Amino acid sequence: MTLAKAPLSGVRVADFTIHAAGPFCTQLLSQLGAECIKIESKTRPDAFRKPHAVYGRMTAATFDQVSVNKLSVRLNLKQPEAVVLAKRLVALSDVATESFRAGVMRRLGLGFDDLRAVKPDIILLSLSSSGQTGPDSHFAGYAPLFAAWGGLGTMTGYTDGPPVEMRHVMDHSAGAHAAVATLAALHQRRRTGGAQHIDLAAREVACAMIGDALIQASMGLTPVRPGNRHLSMAPHGVYPTRQPDRWLTLAVRNDAQWQALVRELDQPAGSSEPRFATADARLRHRDELDALLTEWLAVCDADVTAQRLQRAGVCAHVSWSMQDIARDPHLRARLATVEVSASDVPPRLAVGAPARFSKTDDVGIRRLTPALGQDEDYVFGELLGLSSAHRAELERREVIL
Amino acid sequence: MSSKDSLQGAALPLAGCRVIERSRTVAAAYAGRLLASMGATVVMVEPIEGSRLRTAPPLLDGTDHSALFAFLASGKRSLVCNLLSPEGQRTLARELQSADILIDDTPVRERVARTLDQDSVASRFQALVHVSVLPFGSSGPKADWDAEEVNLLHAGGEGFLLPNGLSSELFPDRPPLKIYGHFSQYQGGCMAALGALTAWWAVPEAGGQYVDVSAQDAVLAVGAFALQRLGDGSLEHRSTRRFRYGGVFEAQGGFVELLTLEDRQWTALVELLGRPVWTQHEALRDPLERSRRGDEINHHLREWMSRHDVDDIVQRAQQLGVPAAKYRTPAEIIRGEHERSRGLFAPLMLDESVQAEILVAPFQFRCTPLQARQRVPALGEMTAEPAE
Repeated sequence: MTLAKAPLSGVRVADFTIHAAGPFCTQLLSQLGAECIKIESKTRPDAFRKPHAVYGRMTAATFDQVSVNKLSVRLNLKQPEAVVLAKRLVALSDVATESFRAGVMRRLGLGFDDLRAVKPDIILLSLSSSGQTGPDSHFAGYAPLFAAWGGLGTMTGYTDGPPVEMRHVMDHSAGAHAAVATLAALHQRRRTGGAQHIDLAAREVACAMIGDALIQASMGLTPVRPGNRHLSMAPHGVYPTRQPDRWLTLAVRNDAQWQALVRELDQPAGSSEPRFATADARLRHRDELDALLTEWLAVCDADVTAQRLQRAGVCAHVSWSMQDIARDPHLRARLATVEVSASDVPPRLAVGAPARFSKTDDVGIRRLTPALGQDEDYVFGELLGLSSAHRAELERREVIL
Repeated sequence: MSSKDSLQGAALPLAGCRVIERSRTVAAAYAGRLLASMGATVVMVEPIEGSRLRTAPPLLDGTDHSALFAFLASGKRSLVCNLLSPEGQRTLARELQSADILIDDTPVRERVARTLDQDSVASRFQALVHVSVLPFGSSGPKADWDAEEVNLLHAGGEGFLLPNGLSSELFPDRPPLKIYGHFSQYQGGCMAALGALTAWWAVPEAGGQYVDVSAQDAVLAVGAFALQRLGDGSLEHRSTRRFRYGGVFEAQGGFVELLTLEDRQWTALVELLGRPVWTQHEALRDPLERSRRGDEINHHLREWMSRHDVDDIVQRAQQLGVPAAKYRTPAEIIRGEHERSRGLFAPLMLDESVQAEILVAPFQFRCTPLQARQRVPALGEMTAEPAE
């Protein structure tokens, strides 16, 4: 399967990752044109194939964003023969990706050295909660734990409240960084011909999100948890409007924008008020300023106000629910949201490619969630050259399961 | 750079890659930072007064330095250039002649005057990857909208969903809450770096091209699960988007995050708690029933956590296979044994007298370790150097 106008056309990924972070990485690569072969088994299916009760989903998902475009094969990696087949698949791939706990791939016989033995220039991406080395490398975790370990959870929250739990954005953020590192390793291989083992710890991606606070801490300073406040902008935050639960986000960078804001909100008295005349003064009086903004905006329509303020050069946007996102013509025009459907999937919106390319523009979703093992004719038959009889026999012995 | 450093530099993943960066926003600067951390030569083209990020908070007390800028600019070079002057445009053209990637966040309407519009760049530099990263992208009806972080997080859908869990329970009437710092911009920057390296990969077949990245798109991409839930028929809201049980708990000496998704993790959690009577109900063996009784379970967990030390809880939990973590402070992370052992931080020269430490990169390359020594470029440091 080659896609002439997709930028990563010709790149093949053997994908052992499950859950969210790793699959998001390989989903990005596949949207950019890489052929991604997902390796699971009936005894180790990916999370979307099962109910997710803690999340309130009592059945398997019919559509799973992070598995789009992927080919699916079954291999029961507890069987040595399946491991041999997995290595043959890796030997035909440019990249292998995994998200087991540190050390598991090696125990399976699929460690970096094992893979390099069958494919001397393999790029292995190991994506885990805490990395492949270090005293915590055996720690298991999910998105909220990555953010807790990495400090982003502590730095996020109301100033007088507890830390805040990060959700899937933390998984996917780790996956996006993993995709960047994988591309860099591909360039390195093109230049040097060498193999590479990428060790991405999701908690360290959370650390990058507080990179500034970590520099402060290294100098003995104690970074503050600012909530919705900004250290140099006021007004800045999320304000209620006339409609219930329809919030307006605002960020005023300078005096000119402050003047534009009071003009657009028809509050001329604000323009001559000395407490708010300069950025420093506004910061000093920001509690009063926030109270005043709340009063002014209480009679305003959130959407109309955001548009007016943008026209006047003030950074404003309504706090959007997914319903707003789904209706937005801008995101649709950019193919950031795209409608997808299949025989068992009624039309629905999904997230498209992460960027738009002027030449290699064949990026995005080509097919939806694969059924378990649906691409074995191509992968086991065509790529690995296994006969139907051989495959049937491997199924009987639960090597393919 | 010592000879040892440059030898090591030649082996880095992106050695030889030349990037020109024009950044007013964290997104563009972070894209350049990711590439620089992997060995690319990244030149910030700054206006005469310097990038506005040089004075962006948080500032380091007692110095003139911005902690944010130090994090973003570490490992880059600085060239001062007035792009509204013919001389500045010539300097930029000279730099772009030998560059592989241009990362630019100049608003679309200001580009022509600076010779940075898509057509002008494409016609002059045919092998150049030209990455535009803007709050709402460079195409579409809102391409000219402007935004700061707080706007972007909410334009991408994640802001509306925060906080969830304990914070939302404690303060149900407060406005939604942003993630610390520049989370949306970091996502935009990460996608810009991905777009840059992807288009650069295709240069042998396709030549240079223009790549349009939007921070709003990036926030939505990392928040895609909420759109998936909408397709499933659930409109998520911060007050209801919570794990049925688990989450943030206050313990002695700090906060714990606890999340058990698998049956075996629940069994291990029961073990951690010392098998109290309430955990022994037959019905709680069923994961679906546990979810239905989530509030009751959390009530018991809160009571238990409040009586135990945070470090003890996490250590025992991880031994038993219960996913639990401590909410660590930046100071704990900087001193962390795990981080130290992984070489996560490196010395950073802010200037001749000020030294700090900095995260090298959020990924490691085990065959060719990334460079440890880091420095922040003085404004226009390259201007004094003769052109190559």
